[in-house]
Amino acid sequence: MGDLFSNLGLGFSVAFSVQNILSAFIGCLVGTLIGVLPGVGPIATIAMLLPITFSLDPTGALIMLAGIYYGAQYGGSTTAILVNIPGEATSVVTALDGHQMARQGRAGVALGVAAIGSFFAGTVATLVIAALGKPLTGLALLFGPTEYFSLMVMGLVFAVVLARGSILKAVAMIVLGVLLSTVGLDLETGEERMTFGLAFLSDGIDFAVLAMGIFGIAEIMRNLDHTEHRDVVRQAIGSLLPTRDDFRQAYKPAIRGTLIGAMLGILPGNGAVLGPFASYTLEKKIAKDPRRFGRGAIEGVAGPESANNAGAQTSFIPLLTLGIPPNAVMALMVGAMTIHGIIPGPQVMTKNPDLFWGMIASMWIGNLMLLIINLPLVGVWVRLLKVPYRLLFPAILMFCCIGIYSINSLPTDVMFIALFGFVGYILIKFGFEPAPMLLGFVLGKLMEENLRRALILSRGSLETFIERPVSAGLLAVAAILLVIALLPSIRKGRDEVFTE
Amino acid sequence: MSASHEGSGAASRHGPVRAPQSLAGGLFLLFLAALALWLTKDLDQGTLNAMGPAMLPRWLAFGVGLSGLALLVFAFIKDGEPLERWSIRGPFFIISAILAFGVTIRGYAFGDLAVPGLGLMVAGPLAILIGGFATPEARFRDLVILSLSLTPFCMVLFGDGALLNLPIPLFPRALAELFPADWSQNAILRTVAAVMAVLAALVSVTTRGRRTTTIDVADHDGRI
Repeated sequence: MGDLFSNLGLGFSVAFSVQNILSAFIGCLVGTLIGVLPGVGPIATIAMLLPITFSLDPTGALIMLAGIYYGAQYGGSTTAILVNIPGEATSVVTALDGHQMARQGRAGVALGVAAIGSFFAGTVATLVIAALGKPLTGLALLFGPTEYFSLMVMGLVFAVVLARGSILKAVAMIVLGVLLSTVGLDLETGEERMTFGLAFLSDGIDFAVLAMGIFGIAEIMRNLDHTEHRDVVRQAIGSLLPTRDDFRQAYKPAIRGTLIGAMLGILPGNGAVLGPFASYTLEKKIAKDPRRFGRGAIEGVAGPESANNAGAQTSFIPLLTLGIPPNAVMALMVGAMTIHGIIPGPQVMTKNPDLFWGMIASMWIGNLMLLIINLPLVGVWVRLLKVPYRLLFPAILMFCCIGIYSINSLPTDVMFIALFGFVGYILIKFGFEPAPMLLGFVLGKLMEENLRRALILSRGSLETFIERPVSAGLLAVAAILLVIALLPSIRKGRDEVFTE
Repeated sequence: MSASHEGSGAASRHGPVRAPQSLAGGLFLLFLAALALWLTKDLDQGTLNAMGPAMLPRWLAFGVGLSGLALLVFAFIKDGEPLERWSIRGPFFIISAILAFGVTIRGYAFGDLAVPGLGLMVAGPLAILIGGFATPEARFRDLVILSLSLTPFCMVLFGDGALLNLPIPLFPRALAELFPADWSQNAILRTVAAVMAVLAALVSVTTRGRRTTTIDVADHDGRI
């Protein structure tokens, strides 16, 4: 316990430097600014804004990136509440009751509750990360390549189970993602694989380029196909501060949501996405009058928003302790860390304690910033939401181009976002969800490396994965999960959760 | 979401294909798998003990191909979604815009044909003007104003030594040479940006006198 507080103390002493507070502030502000734009989710936001962190030192850069991430998340919720366009999967639930509240002239309260709930969830999640960081890092040191490989297999199975739509399609996307990660020089033999003889492909496909193409450009193309009516709330925003009654109704769901989200967020394979859904379902089940849900129930905003933010934050745990990114956003964080010369994993905490604890402390500061920034700026976001899409998307397009060019200063990177954007558009049109592909891509390189090492250690015997107890346990969990997900009765329930 | 519901479920009863989306998806996966297999055909697979470069890609390509095959089979057995509405216009202009940006930002050589590096000053407006026409609702005047106001903003934000100072080319060299030699890069940048911003304001004022701001020129028709 004393350790926890001395570590957090170290973290706050790092995070409270003027430069780092400024980084967190700017990160949250521009993150929200871009995240508010309809059709721009957190992944595209982070990929677009990655270059603005280049001139900072690693700690400042990661603090700013974390701020951008929270800002983008909160911006997505704002859009969900005010316009009923959820920017990403996790704010779908917020749109249900949040937008209804907005139509009843209670947009302010919805936004306020979302912000306060998120802040509370963020505070708890920060403590969870600080408490779990050390023991989990210790666990990671016991893991060999065999265990790492099995853990990643389990993570990918999670991602399949949690993906929306057909399981077969999700599997195909993950395998395709891993396949894409094998493009480039083979690490052991130095031979070129699937590069078409192109020099810039020999380092492999750049993650930011793939992410920007699939989540930025493809999304624009898709949005252009739908002439959806944008339902910007015309009613007054109303008071932002919840009344005492609102507060009484909202605090319990917020606490429950936080716990659910924090637990699910730790799971490898994008468990965080499930948090808001689980929280909403729970609140609806235990409510005295479930009919209120979908008609502006404040619990339907407080719970899922808290779960969302708690999960967003605890999903840093697998990354910081095991070095395994649990979802696409964390994969971008890996990319960002690598650019700054940090290899995520258990060694970060021992080698760069300043960075590790500073980042954890700045998570809490970032959440506070969101509260401070967003409550007064709602009016600005509303005006931004009224800009028609025909003017928004060319601007987004140019930002994407500038962002991706400045990462490596390569014109070919810019051209590749067009290619991946088009491929992503085709995939979306064929009913594939691109998120699992990105996760497969990120884990692919790590998986191949660990698979090879494990097989060398076992002299080419695949049985090593079942013989070693930890690895066998992880694979068993993965197998059970997959079987359960394929059972017809569970499948029906799974579809209901996602369509609700 | 909108146009896809015209007949979801039992949409195409006529013909043997019961799930056109799965059919197309399956074919696309098969194509990707075949491409990967063809690209790795000359590489060594190795043994489990010493994996060659081709082992994992080949297994994965088989995996992708199998999924594709399964989707293909299901397309004839189970009812599924019809294909969503497509448009050529959106992807065409978006891709053209990105390519235009990529080719002009630093210069690019296709064999004998070399495009000079024109910098963000030209590449940015090109991306906005070409990309803007991806929607049928495009209005040239608004796009001109948008490009002339957003580009200088980005040039100063990303290029100015006092701000982010990223190594991104800002304007053609020929333009920089027009300025007196003792001007610093920042001074030229700020002047160019200011001129562009003034141009944006001028276009906005002269083409329709009563509106002055750049973002609010659009009517709020609330469509996405």
